[in-house]
Amino acid sequence: MQFCRVRSVAEAVDELSRWGTEGRILAGGTDVMPQYLRGEQSPAALIDISGIEGLQGISEVGGVTSIGALVTLRRLATASLVQLRHPALAQAAAAVGAWQTQTVATLGGNICSAAATADTLPALLVADAQLMLVSKSGRRRVSLEEFLEGPGATALRPTELLRAIEVEPLGERTSEGNLKVGRRSAMDLAVVGLALRLSVTPSGVVSDARIAVCGGTRSPHRVPSAEAAIAGSQLIDGRLDCAEAGAELASAAVPERADSAQYRRRVLPGLLSRLAERCVTAILGAGG
Amino acid sequence: MLGSNPARSDADAKLRGEAVFGADLASPGMLWAAVSRSPVAAGHIRSIDVASALKVEGVLDVLTAADVPDGRTGVIVNDIPFLAVEHVAYEGEPVAMVVADNRASAEAGAQAVGIDIEPTEPVSTPEQALAPGARLVHPDWNRFVVAGGVDIGRDGNVVAEVVHDPGDLDEAFAAADVVVEGTYRTPRQYQAHLEPKMALATYESGRYTIEVSHQYPFRLRDRVAQILGVAPSAVRVVGHHIGGGFGAKLDVSLEAFAALLARRFRRPVRMQHTALEERLVAPCRANAMVAVRSAVRRDGTILATDVEIVSDSGAYANNGPALSSIPMFVFGSIYRVGTARIRTRNVYTNTAPTGAYRGVNGPWLVFANERHMDAIADALGRDRRDFRLASLARDGDLMRNGQPLEEVSILREAFDRVDELVPWRDIVSRNQRQRDAAAPSSPPAEAGADVLRGAGQAAAIWLTNPMPGHATVKLNEDGTATVITSATENGSGAVATGLRQIAAATLGLAAEAVTITMPDTDATGYDAGSQGSRTTHVVGRAIADASAEVRSQVLDRASQMLEAVPEDLVIDAGVVTVAGVPAAGLTLGAVAQAATWSDGPITAGASYVTPTPPHDPACATGMLIKGWPTPTYHLHQAEVSVDVVTGRVTVDRYVVCQEVGRAIHPDAITGQIQGGVAQGLGFALSERVDLDHGRYVQRTFKAHGLPLAEDVPKVEMIVMEHADPAGPYGAKGAAEPPIVPVAAAVANAVSDAIGVPFDTLPITPEAVLEALEAEPNGEAVARAAREPVLNRDGEQERDTTGRAS
Repeated sequence: MQFCRVRSVAEAVDELSRWGTEGRILAGGTDVMPQYLRGEQSPAALIDISGIEGLQGISEVGGVTSIGALVTLRRLATASLVQLRHPALAQAAAAVGAWQTQTVATLGGNICSAAATADTLPALLVADAQLMLVSKSGRRRVSLEEFLEGPGATALRPTELLRAIEVEPLGERTSEGNLKVGRRSAMDLAVVGLALRLSVTPSGVVSDARIAVCGGTRSPHRVPSAEAAIAGSQLIDGRLDCAEAGAELASAAVPERADSAQYRRRVLPGLLSRLAERCVTAILGAGG
Repeated sequence: MLGSNPARSDADAKLRGEAVFGADLASPGMLWAAVSRSPVAAGHIRSIDVASALKVEGVLDVLTAADVPDGRTGVIVNDIPFLAVEHVAYEGEPVAMVVADNRASAEAGAQAVGIDIEPTEPVSTPEQALAPGARLVHPDWNRFVVAGGVDIGRDGNVVAEVVHDPGDLDEAFAAADVVVEGTYRTPRQYQAHLEPKMALATYESGRYTIEVSHQYPFRLRDRVAQILGVAPSAVRVVGHHIGGGFGAKLDVSLEAFAALLARRFRRPVRMQHTALEERLVAPCRANAMVAVRSAVRRDGTILATDVEIVSDSGAYANNGPALSSIPMFVFGSIYRVGTARIRTRNVYTNTAPTGAYRGVNGPWLVFANERHMDAIADALGRDRRDFRLASLARDGDLMRNGQPLEEVSILREAFDRVDELVPWRDIVSRNQRQRDAAAPSSPPAEAGADVLRGAGQAAAIWLTNPMPGHATVKLNEDGTATVITSATENGSGAVATGLRQIAAATLGLAAEAVTITMPDTDATGYDAGSQGSRTTHVVGRAIADASAEVRSQVLDRASQMLEAVPEDLVIDAGVVTVAGVPAAGLTLGAVAQAATWSDGPITAGASYVTPTPPHDPACATGMLIKGWPTPTYHLHQAEVSVDVVTGRVTVDRYVVCQEVGRAIHPDAITGQIQGGVAQGLGFALSERVDLDHGRYVQRTFKAHGLPLAEDVPKVEMIVMEHADPAGPYGAKGAAEPPIVPVAAAVANAVSDAIGVPFDTLPITPEAVLEALEAEPNGEAVARAAREPVLNRDGEQERDTTGRAS
């Protein structure tokens, strides 16, 4: 196996076009290295992109937040810009593994590994994340939703590199949150992860609800039926009744792994209510 | 010196990575061997094809049952074949051994052995084993020999039965106002030590040397000799640093295989479990079922208690028959339970043999005893702490074996001490206010309603293992001392600090001036190993006695040199002086040199075994452990929050009050308490050792669910000292018992929080949500249960817990 350390996006896409399906990108290495050591991956070349400085930034461009693919989860969890504008993403990043994992794992890696349990993906899905892909032959922009093609499968072409992720910040009277339930309080995969982004009009009507889950057998995904059950709802006494949406969410969580399907069905409605309550409190608290 | 915290002798080497653990050992020219194991829980061996294993590069030979000694051996019942013959009785049972010139080849060869087995439906649970007409795990069970020929009540799938029955229970139950019943179930617990089991064996001049990391080198010596059919003196066991054991390294595992192969190939042979083998053949804490039925008077007096226990031995008898005596020391020893019938059966199943894990049987016995105390208190509408205090055993009461409880009033002191730190009434009323605020009709996500708090207590009396220890203490010619013993340092610090402090205190030396040997069965007297908190108490006593003799030899020699009577001499910081004349001192080195070159070196040895406490030998049938020596006293109090959305239990506060005799090294004791609580929390809440048709479901550390630092609160500790006259400077055992009451205290707290009794472990988030769903009014039920069940006329009004009858 060849180890190629690249210093720029141009070098990276050169190497990718040279190696094609025989190459494998190495960023933080928290997925690739264990897979390699277990013999599940034996690429002809490991293309180490971790030294590309241009992929390390977080910036705001025209009201949209652009996050470099190499931004670590620890940075997402702690950067004040992310905490303020993308609280669900910050919360999701803080729930991955432990500090040691977060310190090396990258957002780009979490997206491209595309595990069913990928903690940051629900938060990215409710923020309508767009992925900036680059290859020797050009650039393209794909929504995360289209990008995910099943657990471990994505629309990324062998010659392409994920350069940056653009996420929509919170709008007016909008709030969001992310909750993860694992078997333990850290160092564990999500049994279920849930993100909610909620917008409420001044008259107390839910104008937009986006709900996404991870942790099942499918790729992380939005749950339109649950979203539809909340959209248009009227808050009563500053509370949002999520019972119907919770039931939709629970039924959308099946079929699942036998050992946790029932638990997921039980836990999802409560998690949704908990997130909705937090969002509503934040929206009402921020300006009535 | 005593009660201070000098550094451990092994701290520096362990911190720097210089300590040589068993798993680090290598020898020039050594071979590697690996075991080929049964892939199924039960079946008939049709054939074993060794040809493809022999084709693996580096493989030298493959051995099956035909190549090794016949016959069966064991700790108590001789039921274990060297390698499986005709039948396999559990998944992971050794079937063949593969020898190679390197480890990878040995392991690949073991995988390549073709074991053709016709599977049989396994006897997977004790319930199945005891069912009428159950298949016998060992059809030839009655040909097995029991050590010492004693009757332990064996019968078919029953490995051992202990029965205590005073014969007066029916009368007591007839007089009861309330009968409270409960059935308490607990799973296996896996020791999860980090260093795998290993062995390095050599054979020379007709003797075997086994280098190993083992908790009990002398038992290992005897077991290897038994298996190989040689004299114990033909086996020498040399111990190295142990990377965790918790009871899993008390019996033989790979050592006899390695020894046999070392002789056959005349080369050193090294073996080591893979992570999967560790998991498959670990001698887990036995899964158990404890059914308790109590006859109770409305004033709270427990008139009688009927206890029926079944524990799972797995495919072979390890120490389960002995451990089956332990219920006799739990029921009636902490609380007065009236007249009691106790029957314990240890049964064969087609599962990996169970064995010793820290606090053998204690966590599940105390779980049953204390869950049951809560159930009775709830049935009577009594405060749970008040009911415990009213029921506590009193000094002079007899345990079920007839042994007097001499200091059980220490438990009452423990209840007081814990209450001073965290008043029970404050917790109970705070939790009740919080539950009242969360109206039962509210959906769970309403503000404040989705976390419920509860509190629980659990008390225990635990033994200090009495088995023999020996130490030789020699004064070196440089004035330092060496303690020669096979006591093993299993991580607690008992050897690395405690024993050295005891020698140092007696000899008038600094702890740093005392070195202590690693175990070597050729070089020391018998030692019964690191188990049951015995090292500080038993070996410490032997060292104190030997050190006192050394001290007396020093004083004799120094009295001649200083021309003073021994009574006037003082030893301090390694210098002997005449009291009041500090200027004219002699170093211990000078005294030792003078002695060595005149009468001979200064040295002394001493032995100690704790005498068996007075007891009634006719108290029960099948008892192998007769008494409960050197008891220590424990009270644990847990406060938990239960998240009703996720089902997750968080331990908010945890208090341990533990009596230790005398704290020799307080930091080591607090470390042991913190660690024991962590292991207990894993047992209570998160660890999974599930069996499916005799096979383990979880097969990796990742799936196992050990608690993380995040999951374990900082334990608050109250260490009580009541010096034991027989112990060295009053010390009793301290390290084992902190695991014992944890699951009970936590289960009582969770049951209190959500009003649903948790009588089965572990209390996983799934189990919590299931219970809440099954019992949506759980909270209301629990609250009602705290109100009296008896109306003003004293009649039983309603059955609120669903188990008063």
